[in-house]
Amino acid sequence: MRLPAFIACAAAVFAQGLLDPAKLSQPLGDSWPTYNGDYTGRRYSALTKIAPHNIASLSLAWVYRANPGQGAAGAGGNASPVIKGTPLVINGVLYLTAPDHVWAVDARSGREIWHYAWKSKGGLHIGNRGAGVWGGYLYFETPDCNLVSLNLRDGKERWHKPICDLDQFYYASAAPVVAKNHIITGVSGDDLDIPGYLESHDPETGDLQWRWYAHPNPGDPEAKTWPSVDAMMHGGGMTWVPSTYDPELNLLYFGTGNPQPVIAGKARKGANLYTECIIALNPDTGKLVWYFQPSPHDTHDWDAVQTPVLFDADIGGQRRKLLAQASRNGWFFVLDRTSGQNLIASEYVKTNWTQGVDAKGQPVPNPAKEPQLDGVLVTPNQGGAANWPPPSFSPTTGLFYVSAARAFSVYYIYDDDDKPEGWSGNDRGGFSETMLEAIDYKTGKVRWTHKWPANGGTRSGLLSTAGGLVFSGDTGTNLVGLDAATGAILWHAGLHAPVTNGPITYELDGIQYVVAAAGDTLYAFSQ
Amino acid sequence: MRRVGLAVLTAAVAFGQAGPARPEVDTEAAERGKHIYLQFCVNCHGNLAKGTDQGPDLIRSVVVLQDREGGKLGPALIGLPNHKRDLTKRQLADVSQFLKQRIEETSKNRNAVKPPNVLTGDAKAGQAYFGAKCAACHSPSGDLAGIARKYDPVTLQQRFLFPRSGGRGAPTPKRPQVTVTPASGEPVTGALERIDDFSVSLRDASGEYRSWKRNPDLRVDVVDPYSAHNELLDEYTDADMHNVVAYLETLK
Repeated sequence: MRLPAFIACAAAVFAQGLLDPAKLSQPLGDSWPTYNGDYTGRRYSALTKIAPHNIASLSLAWVYRANPGQGAAGAGGNASPVIKGTPLVINGVLYLTAPDHVWAVDARSGREIWHYAWKSKGGLHIGNRGAGVWGGYLYFETPDCNLVSLNLRDGKERWHKPICDLDQFYYASAAPVVAKNHIITGVSGDDLDIPGYLESHDPETGDLQWRWYAHPNPGDPEAKTWPSVDAMMHGGGMTWVPSTYDPELNLLYFGTGNPQPVIAGKARKGANLYTECIIALNPDTGKLVWYFQPSPHDTHDWDAVQTPVLFDADIGGQRRKLLAQASRNGWFFVLDRTSGQNLIASEYVKTNWTQGVDAKGQPVPNPAKEPQLDGVLVTPNQGGAANWPPPSFSPTTGLFYVSAARAFSVYYIYDDDDKPEGWSGNDRGGFSETMLEAIDYKTGKVRWTHKWPANGGTRSGLLSTAGGLVFSGDTGTNLVGLDAATGAILWHAGLHAPVTNGPITYELDGIQYVVAAAGDTLYAFSQ
Repeated sequence: MRRVGLAVLTAAVAFGQAGPARPEVDTEAAERGKHIYLQFCVNCHGNLAKGTDQGPDLIRSVVVLQDREGGKLGPALIGLPNHKRDLTKRQLADVSQFLKQRIEETSKNRNAVKPPNVLTGDAKAGQAYFGAKCAACHSPSGDLAGIARKYDPVTLQQRFLFPRSGGRGAPTPKRPQVTVTPASGEPVTGALERIDDFSVSLRDASGEYRSWKRNPDLRVDVVDPYSAHNELLDEYTDADMHNVVAYLETLK
């Protein structure tokens, strides 16, 4: 991608210690400056020092155990945090988060530099995806609905701003994404029938710049995908996974979550736009540019929030600006990211809930597989064929890597009322097997699969490198390095717990590090 | 900011500072509030406070959601025509508690209040399916005799679909059996303890724990006693599922 002028100018004035915004559009090397490493969401590093021929010598460099401190968490806090977020690495300092907490750690040694604890007023402490950085400032969301800004240098709070309302059962968990002078924040919460939205905040003041709701305006043609304005205005569509961004097109890409009520869809007949969509927005205005809906009229809690991964590549004999998503519903999509036009729609695991795809390439749900009073057998299950753990794309291999699950469960309706609310149903039980899949973006076909020997799920994200490697956690407690082209296992390290975040890599002083979290602990490996 | 005109219609618009955590519902106050609600509010807002053609949904009302002890509810009632305006402070707090109780119930309704009725299938068709697909391993007069006395219908459904996850009240599932054969040495069979790509461990018939580092020369064969159940997941129709449950329910 060509470097936009604003980035080139800004880079010149950023002093050491601050984030040079040019880093966000460069191949990943000595830093990991945003949730996905760079704006593309590929989680692909240009580093090559660690490679298949020498990975056997990769060994432990340091361990850091995140300590939240006694009594720091406040209402709803966790005594033992789980690191689900992807750390940032900027100028040799690593920043990691857990709900209500941020730590700065020396990326060379794992020694703590500072710790910030937010006194919580509540909210669901299910996880925190990470932080965003603009210049010398860090931003993160708290479960009790605040956007907090800290000084990068010492972790001192600058300000905090409300971004949602606990009383309405929202909470906040996403990693803010910085695009130009916009801090993009998402929201979470599906206990009640509330609308999802995405916000942009001023990086200096935290003031709201715009809010985009995950529903059409009354009177828009898309509003006809709801039976009533009331259903639409309470229709969900949370924005809990961080966006990707194309600076050249100036488009922000993200997915929206499930419609509300979650399981019982009888009072929201229709496709329920803009829930379960891949969305392209103008970050300066919050204006919708296009949408594509992976799960029209979802009734299985299959949030389409999985990272929309951006890359430029040949497809159908033509070089195109592409976007790919392995969606929670078991389908893999490749879109033209200038227009949202679908180019590939295929199952990456076998599913049983569709009647094929429509003219736009969107799956058509089979009404017989909507939840029923006496149960209906569905695959994937509620956890999905994929979930929030970030995938990876390697331009070297042309393969899209996803941690995939084949799982079944029975979906039940619990409330037969004409106006169900909340969830009014759920799924139960389940068989599942988990695998690492490499999908050919040109065909949507799975090129190779490595099925983990033990059943059960994994919550590990993925990392690919120009060195020809893919890193993933398995269903046990191993961090595993595989050959990106073939899926052959080349290296592993046994940790004390399963990998719980997306692994990262960076190079300092000529040494390439690979870092992954397991529960409350970060493990760093180098040669 | 976008959609200013829409703001008045949208539930999530007014935040202010994020308030303190939601307090616990006072059930005694909620019970008192319920009587007031049934007297003055139910005709328009409905039995469950979800609204009717005459009045809006109060579970989705931002005023109600943000209310503390009637502090927002009282002024809102005064501003609305044809509403009860002379409730005491305590009555307002009680109504607020009742509505909070309804909200909390709604927010937790992903959990079933009563078991779903899964007995909708045809037992005879289920018996035929059982004979064709299950009888090689199971017998209604043998291992499944009286199974319907042990488990409720939902557990029966979950047990035959997913014997490893079992359903509520189910016994500990059988562990996979594993046979490990070293390049030189006798095969060892036992209950699988743990397996990944790098090691395998088992407990043999004598109760001894054994483990091996995996390598290409080490043969590992895992037999899941439930593999036939897992393979059937791709074959069952929903009718098969309901019919088999109906049949199993006859095995009292």
